Amino acid sequence: MTLPDRSTLSRREYARSLVAVGGATALSACLDASSDENGEENNVPSGTDDLDSLPARQYAWNEFAPRDDNGNVQPPAHHVLLPLALTERATANGEPTADAREVTESALRTLERAYEWSTDGLLFTLGYTPAYFERFDEDLPEVVDLPEPEALTSREDPSFDEFDALLHLASNHPEVVLEVEEGLFGDQEEPERNGVVLESDLTEVFERVDENRRTGFVGDGLPVEHTDVAGVPDAVPEDAPFFMGFRSGFDRTQASEDHVTIDSGPFADGTTQHVSSMDIQLEVWFEQENHYQRVSKMFSPEHAAEDLVGDVGEELGADSGLSDERIEATAADARQEGVVGHAQKAARGREDGDPPLLRRDFNTIDGDRPGLHFVSLQHEIEDFVRVREAMTGADLDVASANNGILHYIFVNRRGNYLLPPRELRALPAANPDA
Amino acid sequence: MQDFTPTTDETEIDRRTFVAQTGAATGVLALAGCFSGDDEEDEDDPDAENGDENGAGEDYGDGRPTIEVEDPPNAVYLPTHREAMRMLDPVEAGDIMLGPMLSYPHDFWTIAGTGEDAVERESPNSGRGVHMMFTLWDQQTGTVLPVDDGVQIRVYDGDEQVGSPVSPWSMISQEMGFHFGDNVTLPEDGTYTVEVTIPPVSVRKTGDLVGRLDERVSATFEFEYDDEFRHEVIGGVQYLDEAEWGDRGALEPMDHGDHGEHGGHDGHDDHDHEDEHDDGHDHGDHDGHEQDHGDEHDHNGHDDHAHVPYSALPQVEEYDGTILATADDESGADGVPTDHDSLPRSDDAAILAALFEDGSADAERLSDDGDGDVTAGQYLLVSPRTPYNRVPLADAALSVTVERGDDTIAGPDAVLAETLDSEYGIHYGLVVNDAQIEAGDSVTVTIDSPPQVARHQGYDTAFLEMPPVEFTVPEQ
Ligand code: HEM
Ligand SMILES: [Cu+2]
Repeated sequence: MTLPDRSTLSRREYARSLVAVGGATALSACLDASSDENGEENNVPSGTDDLDSLPARQYAWNEFAPRDDNGNVQPPAHHVLLPLALTERATANGEPTADAREVTESALRTLERAYEWSTDGLLFTLGYTPAYFERFDEDLPEVVDLPEPEALTSREDPSFDEFDALLHLASNHPEVVLEVEEGLFGDQEEPERNGVVLESDLTEVFERVDENRRTGFVGDGLPVEHTDVAGVPDAVPEDAPFFMGFRSGFDRTQASEDHVTIDSGPFADGTTQHVSSMDIQLEVWFEQENHYQRVSKMFSPEHAAEDLVGDVGEELGADSGLSDERIEATAADARQEGVVGHAQKAARGREDGDPPLLRRDFNTIDGDRPGLHFVSLQHEIEDFVRVREAMTGADLDVASANNGILHYIFVNRRGNYLLPPRELRALPAANPDA
Repeated sequence: MQDFTPTTDETEIDRRTFVAQTGAATGVLALAGCFSGDDEEDEDDPDAENGDENGAGEDYGDGRPTIEVEDPPNAVYLPTHREAMRMLDPVEAGDIMLGPMLSYPHDFWTIAGTGEDAVERESPNSGRGVHMMFTLWDQQTGTVLPVDDGVQIRVYDGDEQVGSPVSPWSMISQEMGFHFGDNVTLPEDGTYTVEVTIPPVSVRKTGDLVGRLDERVSATFEFEYDDEFRHEVIGGVQYLDEAEWGDRGALEPMDHGDHGEHGGHDGHDDHDHEDEHDDGHDHGDHDGHEQDHGDEHDHNGHDDHAHVPYSALPQVEEYDGTILATADDESGADGVPTDHDSLPRSDDAAILAALFEDGSADAERLSDDGDGDVTAGQYLLVSPRTPYNRVPLADAALSVTVERGDDTIAGPDAVLAETLDSEYGIHYGLVVNDAQIEAGDSVTVTIDSPPQVARHQGYDTAFLEMPPVEFTVPEQ
């Protein structure tokens, strides 16, 4: 594995590029890079032995993340998605063994002892695919809506996540996601953090599906650090948190964690997760369209005409500036304006005014091309499908190129997951009550 | 990736059948190396007016023909030059044929909306690469598909994907008509493979297209990017006299020598490639195509089968219905347009409106999109097209109001549904089955938003702010 060239990159860039590479060598390089800034070992707050103090929901992240001046959650900056397949020896008759369950739980507890549950420490979720639950004779409880993933638009031909589980690691410190991965799956000496040795037998239970390992980053100024990657033009705005140049994930356009929670049955305090991975065509977006056109397509034609957004969305505050009228006018805008905005269109999927999705998407340069890993939490996968239909806007009388940002995104993979409550996060049965 | 499927003699439709079925695609380009052979000759040809003084052909790596036209009119105008391109053998994608055309990366204009700010000029920042274009047509009917439901291209250098995927723009150009295309930067010389995926065609379809083209299909083609290519497409550029730049008018469709109907540029610097095709046929005439090609085009013995239809819509007289008269023409029935040039204009788009009577074969066909829940009636067809070349103006939004005195017969502002018919091509139509449009009725067509298609030079200042057009139904 070749490491990125240290000399040509800033410290942050370098550390991030190491996350994409992964592995022990990347980790030690990353640790060096993060400690040599001012000569000090950099501090990551430690975890707790009192595991009952941790939230019941694995995806309870918002309370443990800072907010910006407008009250919007600032998501953790660095992400790894680790696809996991159960090993032969972790199963009996296809179903996971009690031992495997114990090993898994103990590995996750080790992480919670080593790192504070926060963006400054480590946040993580472990989710399970429909393919995993197929292993059991019983069905999932009815309140859990977890269909097999499928293509959701006529233009895509995605591959599907058909392995068992997905571990989503997130932290503001690139070295944290790296050393956790290394601790769980590396074959070198276990790293140590805050006095906790990150040792685990998780490799007894899970194999990492390397070709589907995914990484990424999100936050003001991070995308522009990747203009060295082919397909990432210099025109990516300095302050933009996302590749396409605008802020996203406003407080009032996101579902709350409560809203996406399954509220009854054994998986109460769990949720469903959809993960789609896509390429983004940034050169055409930035070099062939002007800011006015980009704002029209990302938000709405009115946002462009009235200059509501600012360069990267700094004029917007805690919502995207979509009034009910603007959302209802989507179909009319398609005909009268010849263009509709992505946000405007997707907002048609709101229910009684509430956004049904909690989006935790992040940028990527996996495969050395710009893209997005779209992680979305919702009560039911059906909610995602419905909102995605609203976003696709096949009903709208508008040219494909002017139909929000469809012209620019190319979906490659889709996966559906159940994120069980923390209590059942280690290899749950399909119906734990049965 | 799919197999590379070149068109062979076996898969090529018989020329006569093809023309008979062509309908909307009235012009068929026989593109047998029109430029690839000719440019070389141009260079030594003392008669070639586009010789050295234009500088093209010096530095193929970066040299791009100049494109500045000062103060172009708000109308269709003559660009500075005629593009040169390399035509590749058409390939099959299910029922669809795809005809690739490659040129050098050049300027064009994207449009996303209605005002001035919604138009942006794309100027490629690197001369390294190609302007990649292709025309799609239905093999069975020959209908050019001037609609985009999300076509995607991926470029490969061997197994390595080059850059990000691209959704090509739907575009119009005077020479190529409607096509899909974009500037694609290439890192270096080599052989590239292009994979094109075409989603189901979701626009309303009638005639022989009902229930068809509903599958996502794909095709691949290969091309060489090298000095020879650059020589061909940059060296092959033909400049018009500078005095003509920006004049109202349009370049003739590639390979069409019927400049008689093209207004502004009669008798200008026609080059040898054109002379070769100036064989006395009336290329504008839809029925005259049988003789158009096949025999006189094998210049260099390659690309003989690269027949790509040009997206011209039918001539006025080919519509078998009542052509509506322009309203402000006092003479009533005499105001009925009889040919392309006498159609009313809206921001220089020629607008044809035709009414098909209940019970006519056309009305039945056009009313039936396979949905089954629409009862036939009269059919009102509105067909905006470019002046001169009759290129369809797709992806606009049109509506109509039909009035008789103070009564509203249809509308106000009834939506005209964008429809692709196997005979009349792309148009905007309304089935009128709960009223009867009669002679003397006034028919106001409103352009809610202009055609949202990217434009090559010469089409960039027209079809943008389009005022409504008023018609009246003439006496039979
Ligand atoms: C490159 C890909 C994408 C980018 C750059 C992007 C960007 C944005 C932006 C800037 C907004 C407006 C700000 C906000 O409300 O947060 C937004 C809203 C939204 N987007 Fe996306 N998005 C992308 C893909 C997707 C996908 C794949 C979905 C899937 C359904 C989606 C669903 C939504 C939803 C639900 C909203 C909020 C609508 C509401 O206000 O109710 N986005 N997105
Ligand atoms: Cu083009």
